[in-house]
Amino acid sequence: MYKYTEQDKKIVKNRTKEFKFQVERRINGDLTEEEFKPLRLMNGLYLQLHAYMLRVAIPYGELSDIQLNKLAEIADKYDKGYGHFTTRQNIQFNWPKLLDVPDILSELAEVEMHAIQTSGNCIRNVSCDHLAGINSEEVEDPRPWCEIIRKWSTFHPEFSFLPRKFKIAVTGSEKDRAAIKVHDIGLKIVKKLGTIGFEVFVGGGQGRSPYVAKKINDFLEKKDLLNYLEAILSVYNELGRRDNIYKARIKILVNELGQEKIKELVDEKFEELSDKSLELNQNEINNIFNFFKLPIEKKTNSKVPIHSDKEYNHWLQQNVINHKIRGHSIVVISLKPPGKPPGDATSSQMRELSKISKDFSYGEIRVTHEQNLILPHILNSNLYELWSRLKKLGLSTPNFGLITDTICCPGLDYCALATARSIPISQKISNHFKEYSVQEKIGDLKIKISGCINACGHHHVGNIGILGLDKNGEESYQITLGGSATEKASIGQIVGPSFSTENLIPAIERILKTYEENKKKNEDFLSAFNRLGIDKFKEDLYK
Amino acid sequence: MILQRDKVKKNPFQIIQNVDELVEMKKKSILITLDLWEAQKKLITKHKFNLGLEIASDQSLGPIKNDLHYFKLIQFKFITFKDGRPFSLAKKLRRSYNFKNEIRGSGHILPDQYIFLLRCGFDSVEIEEKNLETWLKFLEMDKGIYYQP
Repeated sequence: MYKYTEQDKKIVKNRTKEFKFQVERRINGDLTEEEFKPLRLMNGLYLQLHAYMLRVAIPYGELSDIQLNKLAEIADKYDKGYGHFTTRQNIQFNWPKLLDVPDILSELAEVEMHAIQTSGNCIRNVSCDHLAGINSEEVEDPRPWCEIIRKWSTFHPEFSFLPRKFKIAVTGSEKDRAAIKVHDIGLKIVKKLGTIGFEVFVGGGQGRSPYVAKKINDFLEKKDLLNYLEAILSVYNELGRRDNIYKARIKILVNELGQEKIKELVDEKFEELSDKSLELNQNEINNIFNFFKLPIEKKTNSKVPIHSDKEYNHWLQQNVINHKIRGHSIVVISLKPPGKPPGDATSSQMRELSKISKDFSYGEIRVTHEQNLILPHILNSNLYELWSRLKKLGLSTPNFGLITDTICCPGLDYCALATARSIPISQKISNHFKEYSVQEKIGDLKIKISGCINACGHHHVGNIGILGLDKNGEESYQITLGGSATEKASIGQIVGPSFSTENLIPAIERILKTYEENKKKNEDFLSAFNRLGIDKFKEDLYK
Repeated sequence: MILQRDKVKKNPFQIIQNVDELVEMKKKSILITLDLWEAQKKLITKHKFNLGLEIASDQSLGPIKNDLHYFKLIQFKFITFKDGRPFSLAKKLRRSYNFKNEIRGSGHILPDQYIFLLRCGFDSVEIEEKNLETWLKFLEMDKGIYYQP
């Protein structure tokens, strides 16, 4: 895992001091709320429906046991005893007081954490494949590249007041688990003729105008990564629209100019501005890679314990993935138990998980962009004991990748922008489909729920997407089908008129029936949808 | 008031709105807008002025790319502090166009942006006297430790 250098420590400490000064100036009136807003946002502090919300960065989703324990402490001391893991691998606290925030930031700094650039019109927390470095099909571990980008993008003097927020994701595998094609920049590590470099995608995103990112570079050399990112950002900072907040993301610029033109502008800028001092040399790259060495020393013949417990076996089947080192497994901890808000963890769960990760996973925990947690390095023979401990905490739900493993935004329960609630919809789904046998029969299926068109719940890329709307004061839910955030990314298609809260579950049931009746053997929902087309589903749903 | 790093300095440049003013006043150091420059370049260059050019944050450098040698000062006027274009434009002036004279920030800018401005190639800022202490405080808090070159 990455450990702060002296430089990191000084920068984070200094920022905490600076933010304290900004809060003082806001309170004594030197800063107007309009001026304070972008400054507090750049420190992860939102004003929501009922209170401030602090979003703490978890760079590329990687946490230590000590950090998770600190998050539990903060949840107890400054919040209401829980935290919410987000789709960009961060954590949010929903109830901090403004005057406590500088103290929270100081406490976070003690464990090498911060809230820098988790919001605002700047380059946000870089996100990453949650199986980085531990899956066998990877070209190269993307985490060190995320760290290189994290450093470069933090307090970038030129790119801290962009037209709009800017999100970067990196994957090292053909199979995309980081949703890179719905990011402003998506980087995919590839190998060509024995040399490792990047494919670069730009202009993906969701919100009210969803787009799949376009590829603008087939092979970018490693040494040029930062200069090339600067070129993209510089084009965007100069030409991105600032007249309309809804048209300000780079996806709109890419779409207005076209793939060829944007590529040409970026290439020009790259030629013109490339700075030798930004070129990465192999030594620097190696230094960062050294932080990410696997803690497991060698492969073993450790066997998975056999037990007759049905729940244990469901969990093994659903939530346990092979590690690239033999004798080890990767365990997904679902934060989607029946009837609970997706992504929430209580302070006692976090505290216990911190201990569990220390006992079984070298003190490492990861956050996935699908709002679950991961214990990355479990010796097979420990799986039963681990499961027993997770079960006691209510963290052994065997639903990873299934219908109740929904992504969901905070919605109208918390968010000032929402048009409808989304958490209760997710709760309804997880209660309705809670039987493992029912879920297993449906198979791989991603439901994603947003409480407004800003699409924080990723509904556009849900196999089944649900968008909460306000229809004359009544909550109403529009369904999209066929979306995907994988390597074959696609934007879901609207199936037809929206449904009331009561009619939503029957509508999902009807959609599943169409799938069930028409699927070929071993065909998952998305493949069946792509083969059958939306009309078939529409016809069945509205007849 | 003009602040250059930690020093307050005099501002010899006087803003000129139209050409009549220019001829009448015979100022030695004048600041003109990009619009005036584009409209009256010939007339303006007839006189021997110390020329400063004011570019608003929503304007581009395109029209003056070949005229930079005329200017002793280029002043970016921020329409709002949230409009970060001048950060890129200043960097472009320095890096691509090799502009060596003074670059100044004016308009709606915050002391919180001072270090970013300096690092992107700005030399000075036009500020309100009452805020001087805060601007200096940001300079003092800066320890010169950055992730970027």
